[in-house]
Amino acid sequence: MKLAYYPGCSLKGTSFEYEVSLLKILEALNIEIQEIPDWNCCGASAAHSLNHNLSVALPARNLAIAENNGFGEVLAPCAACSSRLKTAKYEMGSDDILKKKITDSLEMPYSNSLNISNMLEFLINVAGKEKIKSLVKKPLSGLKVASYYGCLLVRPPKVMKFDDPERPVTMDELVALTGAVPVDYSYKTECCGAINSLSKPDVVMALTGKILYDIKEHGADLVVVACPLCHSNLDVRQREIERKYAERIGLPVLFITELLGLAFGFSPEELAIGGHMVNADKVLKKIS
Amino acid sequence: MKTVINEQERRNFAREVESKLHDKLAKCYQCGKCSAGCPVNFEMDFTPNQIIKMTELGMADKVLDSKTIWLCVSCNTCSTRCPKGFEVAGIMDVLREIAVNRGIESKTEKEVQTFHEVFLDNVKSNGRIFELELVGKYKLKTKHLFRDMFLAPKMIEKGKLKIHSDRVSNINQIAKIFKDFE
Repeated sequence: MKLAYYPGCSLKGTSFEYEVSLLKILEALNIEIQEIPDWNCCGASAAHSLNHNLSVALPARNLAIAENNGFGEVLAPCAACSSRLKTAKYEMGSDDILKKKITDSLEMPYSNSLNISNMLEFLINVAGKEKIKSLVKKPLSGLKVASYYGCLLVRPPKVMKFDDPERPVTMDELVALTGAVPVDYSYKTECCGAINSLSKPDVVMALTGKILYDIKEHGADLVVVACPLCHSNLDVRQREIERKYAERIGLPVLFITELLGLAFGFSPEELAIGGHMVNADKVLKKIS
Repeated sequence: MKTVINEQERRNFAREVESKLHDKLAKCYQCGKCSAGCPVNFEMDFTPNQIIKMTELGMADKVLDSKTIWLCVSCNTCSTRCPKGFEVAGIMDVLREIAVNRGIESKTEKEVQTFHEVFLDNVKSNGRIFELELVGKYKLKTKHLFRDMFLAPKMIEKGKLKIHSDRVSNINQIAKIFKDFE
Protein backbone atom coordinates (compact mmCIF):
# COMPACT_ATOMS: atom_id res chain seq x y z
CA MET A 1 0.00 0.00 0.00
CA LYS A 2 1.25 3.47 -0.90
CA LEU A 3 1.80 5.58 2.23
CA ALA A 4 0.95 9.26 2.10
CA TYR A 5 2.67 11.81 4.30
CA TYR A 6 0.87 14.95 5.48
CA PRO A 7 3.59 17.12 7.08
CA GLY A 8 1.45 20.12 8.02
CA CYS A 9 2.81 23.63 8.52
CA SER A 10 4.68 23.17 11.82
CA LEU A 11 6.96 20.41 10.52
CA LYS A 12 8.09 22.76 7.74
CA GLY A 13 8.70 25.61 10.20
CA THR A 14 9.10 25.85 13.97
CA SER A 15 9.19 22.06 14.42
CA PHE A 16 11.52 21.12 11.55
CA GLU A 17 13.36 18.80 14.00
CA TYR A 18 10.31 16.54 13.99
CA GLU A 19 10.44 16.08 10.21
CA VAL A 20 14.23 15.60 10.11
CA SER A 21 14.11 12.87 12.77
CA LEU A 22 10.99 11.27 11.31
CA LEU A 23 12.59 10.89 7.87
CA LYS A 24 15.73 9.41 9.45
CA ILE A 25 13.93 6.71 11.39
CA LEU A 26 11.63 5.80 8.51
CA GLU A 27 14.72 5.35 6.34
CA ALA A 28 16.13 2.97 8.97
CA LEU A 29 12.77 1.16 9.15
CA ASN A 30 12.79 0.92 5.34
CA ILE A 31 9.37 2.56 5.06
CA GLU A 32 8.73 4.80 2.09
CA ILE A 33 6.32 7.71 2.39
CA GLN A 34 5.30 10.32 -0.19
CA GLU A 35 4.22 13.85 0.63
CA ILE A 36 0.62 14.58 -0.44
CA PRO A 37 1.02 16.73 -3.59
CA ASP A 38 0.23 20.42 -3.03
CA TRP A 39 -1.16 19.84 0.50
CA ASN A 40 -2.77 22.74 2.36
CA CYS A 41 -3.09 23.75 6.04
CA CYS A 42 -5.67 21.69 7.96
CA GLY A 43 -7.17 24.88 9.42
CA ALA A 44 -6.06 23.85 12.92
CA SER A 45 -7.95 25.19 15.92
CA ALA A 46 -8.71 28.50 14.19
CA ALA A 47 -11.04 26.88 11.65
CA HIS A 48 -13.02 24.80 14.14
CA SER A 49 -13.30 27.78 16.49
CA LEU A 50 -14.82 30.07 13.88
CA ASN A 51 -16.34 28.00 11.09
CA HIS A 52 -17.33 24.34 11.37
CA ASN A 53 -17.81 23.69 7.64
CA LEU A 54 -14.45 25.23 6.78
CA SER A 55 -12.82 23.10 9.48
CA VAL A 56 -14.00 20.01 7.59
CA ALA A 57 -13.48 21.32 4.05
CA LEU A 58 -9.81 22.36 4.50
CA PRO A 59 -8.54 18.96 5.67
CA ALA A 60 -10.91 17.25 3.20
CA ARG A 61 -8.96 18.72 0.26
CA ASN A 62 -5.83 16.89 1.48
CA LEU A 63 -7.71 13.65 1.97
CA ALA A 64 -9.29 13.90 -1.49
CA ILE A 65 -5.93 14.59 -3.17
CA ALA A 66 -4.40 11.62 -1.33
CA GLU A 67 -7.25 9.34 -2.28
CA ASN A 68 -7.18 10.43 -5.94
CA ASN A 69 -3.43 9.71 -6.00
CA GLY A 70 -4.05 6.11 -4.98
CA PHE A 71 -2.99 6.31 -1.35
CA GLY A 72 -4.76 4.16 1.25
CA GLU A 73 -2.99 5.31 4.39
CA VAL A 74 -1.99 8.79 5.58
CA LEU A 75 0.60 9.56 8.22
CA ALA A 76 0.02 12.90 9.96
CA PRO A 77 2.83 13.24 12.55
CA CYS A 78 1.43 16.48 13.99
CA ALA A 79 -1.18 15.55 16.60
CA ALA A 80 -3.26 18.61 15.74
CA CYS A 81 -3.22 17.83 12.01
CA SER A 82 -4.04 14.15 12.58
CA SER A 83 -6.91 15.22 14.83
CA ARG A 84 -8.31 17.59 12.15
CA LEU A 85 -7.94 14.99 9.36
CA LYS A 86 -9.61 12.32 11.49
CA THR A 87 -12.37 14.73 12.51
CA ALA A 88 -12.99 15.65 8.86
CA LYS A 89 -13.31 11.98 7.99
CA TYR A 90 -15.64 11.43 10.97
CA GLU A 91 -17.83 14.44 10.14
CA MET A 92 -18.12 13.53 6.45
CA GLY A 93 -18.94 9.96 7.47
CA SER A 94 -21.86 11.14 9.59
CA ASP A 95 -23.09 14.15 7.56
CA ASP A 96 -23.86 13.26 3.91
CA ILE A 97 -25.09 16.76 3.09
CA LEU A 98 -21.84 18.37 4.22
CA LYS A 99 -19.81 15.70 2.45
CA LYS A 100 -21.64 16.42 -0.82
CA LYS A 101 -21.16 20.18 -0.44
CA ILE A 102 -17.45 19.63 0.09
CA THR A 103 -16.91 17.20 -2.78
CA ASP A 104 -18.89 19.55 -5.05
CA SER A 105 -16.67 22.44 -4.00
CA LEU A 106 -13.47 20.44 -4.51
CA GLU A 107 -14.72 19.01 -7.83
CA MET A 108 -13.02 15.70 -7.01
CA PRO A 109 -14.48 12.26 -6.44
CA TYR A 110 -14.03 11.23 -2.82
CA SER A 111 -15.09 8.09 -0.97
CA ASN A 112 -13.85 8.92 2.56
CA SER A 113 -12.00 5.60 2.80
CA LEU A 114 -8.48 6.62 3.85
CA ASN A 115 -6.94 5.38 7.06
CA ILE A 116 -5.36 8.24 9.00
CA SER A 117 -2.62 7.59 11.55
CA ASN A 118 -0.96 9.80 14.09
CA MET A 119 2.77 9.24 14.69
CA LEU A 120 2.33 6.68 17.48
CA GLU A 121 -0.30 4.67 15.62
CA PHE A 122 1.91 4.62 12.55
CA LEU A 123 4.92 3.38 14.50
CA ILE A 124 2.94 0.65 16.27
CA ASN A 125 0.70 -0.49 13.39
CA VAL A 126 2.72 0.17 10.23
CA ALA A 127 6.31 -0.20 11.44
CA GLY A 128 5.58 -2.67 14.26
CA LYS A 129 7.16 -3.09 17.69
CA GLU A 130 9.26 -6.11 16.62
CA LYS A 131 10.91 -4.24 13.78
CA ILE A 132 11.52 -1.18 15.94
CA LYS A 133 13.08 -3.33 18.64
CA SER A 134 15.32 -5.11 16.11
CA LEU A 135 16.80 -1.76 15.03
CA VAL A 136 17.85 -0.65 18.53
CA LYS A 137 21.64 -0.60 18.30
CA LYS A 138 22.33 1.71 21.18
CA PRO A 139 19.97 1.03 24.11
CA LEU A 140 19.22 4.16 26.12
CA SER A 141 19.77 2.32 29.40
CA GLY A 142 19.45 4.40 32.54
CA LEU A 143 17.61 7.26 30.85
CA LYS A 144 14.33 8.13 32.59
CA VAL A 145 11.78 9.36 30.06
CA ALA A 146 8.32 10.88 30.61
CA SER A 147 5.84 10.52 27.74
CA TYR A 148 3.56 13.54 27.34
CA TYR A 149 0.50 12.77 25.18
CA GLY A 150 -1.53 15.96 25.56
CA CYS A 151 -5.06 16.13 24.18
CA LEU A 152 -5.31 15.55 20.50
CA LEU A 153 -3.74 12.11 20.16
CA VAL A 154 -6.40 10.51 22.33
CA ARG A 155 -9.41 12.85 22.56
CA PRO A 156 -12.24 12.70 21.71
CA PRO A 157 -11.97 8.89 21.79
CA LYS A 158 -14.94 8.29 19.46
CA VAL A 159 -13.05 10.11 16.70
CA MET A 160 -9.40 9.34 17.52
CA LYS A 161 -10.04 5.66 18.33
CA PHE A 162 -6.55 5.40 19.73
CA ASP A 163 -5.21 4.18 23.07
CA ASP A 164 -6.86 5.01 26.41
CA PRO A 165 -8.00 8.66 26.66
CA GLU A 166 -7.24 8.91 30.39
CA ARG A 167 -4.24 6.64 30.73
CA PRO A 168 -2.53 6.07 27.39
CA VAL A 169 0.45 3.70 27.18
CA THR A 170 1.56 3.58 23.53
CA MET A 171 4.35 6.15 23.78
CA ASP A 172 5.58 4.59 27.04
CA GLU A 173 5.79 1.25 25.21
CA LEU A 174 7.90 2.83 22.47
CA VAL A 175 10.12 4.41 25.14
CA ALA A 176 10.58 0.99 26.75
CA LEU A 177 11.65 -0.49 23.38
CA THR A 178 14.62 1.93 23.33
CA GLY A 179 15.85 0.54 26.65
CA ALA A 180 14.97 3.76 28.51
CA VAL A 181 12.81 3.70 31.65
CA PRO A 182 9.27 5.09 31.19
CA VAL A 183 8.36 7.50 34.01
CA ASP A 184 4.82 7.52 35.35
CA TYR A 185 3.30 10.86 36.38
CA SER A 186 -0.07 12.56 36.76
CA TYR A 187 -0.53 14.93 33.81
CA LYS A 188 0.10 12.77 30.73
CA THR A 189 -3.09 13.94 29.04
CA GLU A 190 -3.58 17.36 30.64
CA CYS A 191 -3.77 20.16 28.09
CA CYS A 192 -0.79 22.49 27.55
CA GLY A 193 -3.13 25.15 26.16
CA ALA A 194 -1.66 25.21 22.65
CA ILE A 195 -4.75 26.76 21.04
CA ASN A 196 -4.16 30.00 22.95
CA SER A 197 -0.36 29.93 23.04
CA LEU A 198 0.01 33.39 21.52
CA SER A 199 -3.24 34.96 22.68
CA LYS A 200 -3.26 33.89 26.37
CA PRO A 201 0.41 33.26 27.23
CA ASP A 202 -0.15 33.55 31.00
CA VAL A 203 -2.81 30.84 30.99
CA VAL A 204 -0.62 28.66 28.76
CA MET A 205 2.35 29.06 31.08
CA ALA A 206 0.23 28.02 34.06
CA LEU A 207 -0.97 24.89 32.23
CA THR A 208 2.42 23.98 30.77
CA GLY A 209 4.22 24.76 34.03
CA LYS A 210 1.94 22.39 35.94
CA ILE A 211 2.86 19.58 33.54
CA LEU A 212 6.61 20.27 33.50
CA TYR A 213 6.97 20.60 37.29
CA ASP A 214 5.04 17.36 37.77
CA ILE A 215 7.32 15.54 35.34
CA LYS A 216 10.33 16.99 37.14
CA GLU A 217 9.03 15.84 40.54
CA HIS A 218 8.67 12.31 39.18
CA GLY A 219 12.37 12.21 38.40
CA ALA A 220 12.44 12.20 34.60
CA ASP A 221 15.60 13.16 32.68
CA LEU A 222 13.66 14.28 29.65
CA VAL A 223 10.21 14.44 28.07
CA VAL A 224 9.06 12.95 24.77
CA VAL A 225 6.14 14.26 22.73
CA ALA A 226 4.43 13.46 19.42
CA CYS A 227 2.98 16.91 18.74
CA PRO A 228 4.73 20.07 17.51
CA LEU A 229 2.35 22.32 19.45
CA CYS A 230 3.00 20.49 22.72
CA HIS A 231 6.69 20.75 21.87
CA SER A 232 6.51 24.49 21.35
CA ASN A 233 4.91 25.04 24.73
CA LEU A 234 7.04 22.61 26.72
CA ASP A 235 10.34 23.51 25.04
CA VAL A 236 10.13 27.07 23.69
CA ARG A 237 8.29 28.50 26.73
CA GLN A 238 10.20 26.51 29.37
CA ARG A 239 12.77 29.22 30.18
CA GLU A 240 9.99 31.77 30.59
CA ILE A 241 8.06 29.42 32.90
CA GLU A 242 11.19 28.93 35.03
CA ARG A 243 11.50 32.70 35.39
CA LYS A 244 7.80 33.21 36.12
CA TYR A 245 7.66 30.58 38.87
CA ALA A 246 11.26 31.13 39.99
CA GLU A 247 12.06 27.44 39.94
CA ARG A 248 14.37 25.61 37.59
CA ILE A 249 13.02 22.86 35.34
CA GLY A 250 15.82 22.04 32.89
CA LEU A 251 13.95 19.28 31.07
CA PRO A 252 14.92 18.68 27.43
CA VAL A 253 11.86 17.93 25.30
CA LEU A 254 12.41 15.47 22.44
CA PHE A 255 10.12 14.19 19.75
CA ILE A 256 9.49 10.44 20.05
CA THR A 257 11.14 10.11 16.62
CA GLU A 258 14.34 11.65 18.02
CA LEU A 259 14.41 9.24 20.97
CA LEU A 260 13.96 6.27 18.63
CA GLY A 261 16.62 7.76 16.32
CA LEU A 262 19.14 7.94 19.17
CA ALA A 263 18.44 4.29 20.01
CA PHE A 264 18.85 3.38 16.32
CA GLY A 265 22.37 4.85 16.56
CA PHE A 266 21.88 8.23 14.85
CA SER A 267 23.77 11.18 16.32
CA PRO A 268 21.94 14.14 17.93
CA GLU A 269 23.12 16.26 14.96
CA GLU A 270 21.57 13.87 12.42
CA LEU A 271 18.28 14.16 14.34
CA ALA A 272 18.44 17.99 14.62
CA ILE A 273 18.19 17.81 18.43
CA GLY A 274 20.27 21.02 18.55
CA GLY A 275 17.21 22.81 17.14
CA HIS A 276 15.45 22.73 20.50
CA MET A 277 15.52 25.66 22.88
CA VAL A 278 16.33 23.56 25.98
CA ASN A 279 19.81 22.13 25.55
CA ALA A 280 19.88 18.33 25.71
CA ASP A 281 23.68 17.81 25.71
CA LYS A 282 24.04 17.17 29.44
CA VAL A 283 21.23 14.63 29.58
CA LEU A 284 22.42 12.86 26.43
CA LYS A 285 25.87 12.42 27.98
CA LYS A 286 24.23 9.82 30.22
CA ILE A 287 23.85 7.53 27.23
CA SER A 288 27.03 8.32 25.29
CA MET B 1 -28.70 36.70 38.57
CA LYS B 2 -32.02 38.18 37.39
CA THR B 3 -33.26 36.39 34.34
CA VAL B 4 -36.39 37.11 32.33
CA ILE B 5 -37.03 34.41 29.81
CA ASN B 6 -38.98 34.98 26.65
CA GLU B 7 -40.10 31.47 25.70
CA GLN B 8 -40.03 32.12 21.96
CA GLU B 9 -36.52 33.58 22.04
CA ARG B 10 -35.38 30.81 24.38
CA ARG B 11 -36.56 28.12 22.01
CA ASN B 12 -35.09 29.84 18.96
CA PHE B 13 -31.66 30.11 20.51
CA ALA B 14 -31.66 26.60 21.97
CA ARG B 15 -32.81 25.18 18.62
CA GLU B 16 -30.16 27.09 16.68
CA VAL B 17 -27.44 25.70 18.96
CA GLU B 18 -28.84 22.17 18.91
CA SER B 19 -29.11 22.05 15.12
CA LYS B 20 -25.49 23.16 14.67
CA LEU B 21 -24.33 20.89 17.47
CA HIS B 22 -26.27 17.79 16.38
CA ASP B 23 -26.91 17.15 20.06
CA LYS B 24 -29.63 17.83 22.67
CA LEU B 25 -29.13 20.35 25.49
CA ALA B 26 -31.55 18.43 27.73
CA LYS B 27 -29.07 15.55 27.87
CA CYS B 28 -27.06 17.54 30.42
CA TYR B 29 -28.17 16.85 34.01
CA GLN B 30 -25.75 19.37 35.53
CA CYS B 31 -23.44 16.94 37.30
CA GLY B 32 -20.54 19.34 36.77
CA LYS B 33 -17.99 16.73 35.75
CA CYS B 34 -17.05 18.80 32.68
CA SER B 35 -16.29 21.82 34.82
CA ALA B 36 -14.39 19.87 37.47
CA GLY B 37 -11.93 18.52 34.89
CA CYS B 38 -11.65 21.66 32.77
CA PRO B 39 -7.99 22.80 32.74
CA VAL B 40 -8.94 26.48 32.28
CA ASN B 41 -11.90 26.66 34.69
CA PHE B 42 -9.88 29.03 36.92
CA GLU B 43 -10.06 31.77 34.27
CA MET B 44 -13.69 31.36 33.18
CA ASP B 45 -16.60 33.62 34.11
CA PHE B 46 -19.11 30.75 33.73
CA THR B 47 -18.25 27.07 34.08
CA PRO B 48 -18.97 24.79 31.10
CA ASN B 49 -22.07 23.26 32.76
CA GLN B 50 -23.40 26.77 33.45
CA ILE B 51 -22.91 27.64 29.78
CA ILE B 52 -24.98 24.59 28.79
CA LYS B 53 -27.83 25.49 31.17
CA MET B 54 -27.73 29.18 30.19
CA THR B 55 -27.95 28.19 26.53
CA GLU B 56 -30.94 25.99 27.31
CA LEU B 57 -32.51 28.96 29.14
CA GLY B 58 -32.00 31.16 26.09
CA MET B 59 -29.54 33.54 27.74
CA ALA B 60 -27.93 34.28 24.38
CA ASP B 61 -26.43 37.67 25.21
CA LYS B 62 -24.63 36.45 28.32
CA VAL B 63 -23.41 33.23 26.73
CA LEU B 64 -22.19 34.78 23.48
CA ASP B 65 -20.35 37.52 25.35
CA SER B 66 -18.84 35.18 27.94
CA LYS B 67 -15.11 34.79 28.49
CA THR B 68 -15.65 31.05 28.70
CA ILE B 69 -16.36 30.39 25.02
CA TRP B 70 -13.03 31.99 24.03
CA LEU B 71 -11.00 30.59 26.93
CA CYS B 72 -12.00 27.00 26.15
CA VAL B 73 -8.84 25.29 24.86
CA SER B 74 -10.77 22.57 22.98
CA CYS B 75 -8.91 19.83 24.84
CA ASN B 76 -12.07 17.70 24.87
CA THR B 77 -11.54 16.48 28.44
CA CYS B 78 -15.14 17.52 29.18
CA SER B 79 -16.71 15.66 26.24
CA THR B 80 -14.59 12.58 26.94
CA ARG B 81 -15.70 12.41 30.58
CA CYS B 82 -19.35 13.46 30.17
CA PRO B 83 -21.50 10.62 31.54
CA LYS B 84 -24.21 11.53 29.02
CA GLY B 85 -21.89 11.82 26.03
CA PHE B 86 -22.88 15.44 25.49
CA GLU B 87 -20.74 17.49 23.10
CA VAL B 88 -19.43 19.91 25.72
CA ALA B 89 -16.37 21.03 23.73
CA GLY B 90 -18.57 21.08 20.63
CA ILE B 91 -20.98 23.61 22.15
CA MET B 92 -18.09 26.04 22.68
CA ASP B 93 -17.26 25.88 18.94
CA VAL B 94 -20.92 26.39 18.05
CA LEU B 95 -21.28 29.38 20.39
CA ARG B 96 -18.07 30.98 19.08
CA GLU B 97 -19.33 30.60 15.53
CA ILE B 98 -22.74 32.09 16.37
CA ALA B 99 -21.06 34.99 18.22
CA VAL B 100 -18.87 35.75 15.19
CA ASN B 101 -21.82 35.50 12.78
CA ARG B 102 -23.79 37.94 14.95
CA GLY B 103 -20.84 40.33 15.00
CA ILE B 104 -20.39 40.05 18.77
CA GLU B 105 -16.83 40.85 19.74
CA SER B 106 -15.66 39.60 23.10
CA LYS B 107 -15.00 42.52 25.43
CA THR B 108 -12.32 40.72 27.37
CA GLU B 109 -11.04 37.94 25.11
CA LYS B 110 -10.89 39.72 21.78
CA GLU B 111 -7.29 38.63 21.25
CA VAL B 112 -8.23 34.96 21.08
CA GLN B 113 -10.72 35.70 18.33
CA THR B 114 -8.24 37.98 16.54
CA PHE B 115 -5.62 35.24 16.56
CA HIS B 116 -8.01 32.76 14.93
CA GLU B 117 -9.02 35.37 12.32
CA VAL B 118 -5.43 36.23 11.44
CA PHE B 119 -4.64 32.52 11.25
CA LEU B 120 -7.45 31.84 8.78
CA ASP B 121 -6.45 34.91 6.70
CA ASN B 122 -2.98 33.40 6.47
CA VAL B 123 -4.42 30.09 5.26
CA LYS B 124 -6.61 31.95 2.78
CA SER B 125 -3.74 33.84 1.20
CA ASN B 126 -1.00 31.16 1.27
CA GLY B 127 -2.86 27.87 1.62
CA ARG B 128 -0.37 27.13 4.40
CA ILE B 129 0.76 28.93 7.52
CA PHE B 130 3.68 31.28 7.16
CA GLU B 131 4.56 31.56 10.85
CA LEU B 132 6.55 34.80 10.70
CA GLU B 133 3.76 36.58 8.82
CA LEU B 134 1.12 35.11 11.15
CA VAL B 135 2.90 36.32 14.28
CA GLY B 136 3.70 39.72 12.71
CA LYS B 137 0.13 40.42 11.64
CA TYR B 138 -1.27 39.21 14.96
CA LYS B 139 1.07 41.55 16.83
CA LEU B 140 0.15 44.51 14.64
CA LYS B 141 -3.55 43.87 15.17
CA THR B 142 -3.35 43.42 18.92
CA LYS B 143 -0.59 46.01 19.46
CA HIS B 144 1.28 43.52 21.64
CA LEU B 145 4.41 44.24 19.66
CA PHE B 146 6.93 43.22 22.27
CA ARG B 147 5.22 40.32 23.99
CA ASP B 148 7.15 37.08 23.29
CA MET B 149 9.66 38.99 21.17
CA PHE B 150 12.51 37.96 23.46
CA LEU B 151 12.00 34.44 22.07
CA ALA B 152 12.65 35.52 18.49
CA PRO B 153 16.48 35.83 18.36
CA LYS B 154 17.06 32.34 19.72
CA MET B 155 14.32 30.88 17.52
CA ILE B 156 15.96 32.42 14.45
CA GLU B 157 19.37 31.13 15.59
CA LYS B 158 17.89 27.63 15.98
CA GLY B 159 16.37 27.78 12.49
CA LYS B 160 12.81 27.71 13.83
CA LEU B 161 11.57 30.85 12.08
CA LYS B 162 11.67 30.61 8.31
CA ILE B 163 12.05 33.83 6.33
CA HIS B 164 9.87 32.63 3.48
CA SER B 165 7.17 30.00 3.09
CA ASP B 166 5.90 27.58 0.50
CA ARG B 167 2.51 28.44 -0.88
CA VAL B 168 -0.07 26.04 -2.22
CA SER B 169 0.23 26.03 -6.06
CA ASN B 170 -3.47 25.59 -6.67
CA ILE B 171 -4.33 28.65 -4.60
CA ASN B 172 -7.52 29.12 -6.65
CA GLN B 173 -8.90 25.95 -5.11
CA ILE B 174 -8.18 27.31 -1.63
CA ALA B 175 -9.93 30.55 -2.59
CA LYS B 176 -12.91 28.52 -3.80
CA ILE B 177 -13.12 26.58 -0.51
CA PHE B 178 -13.20 29.88 1.40
CA LYS B 179 -15.75 31.34 -1.02
CA ASP B 180 -18.01 28.28 -0.67
CA PHE B 181 -17.79 27.91 3.10
CA GLU B 182 -16.86 31.26 4.61
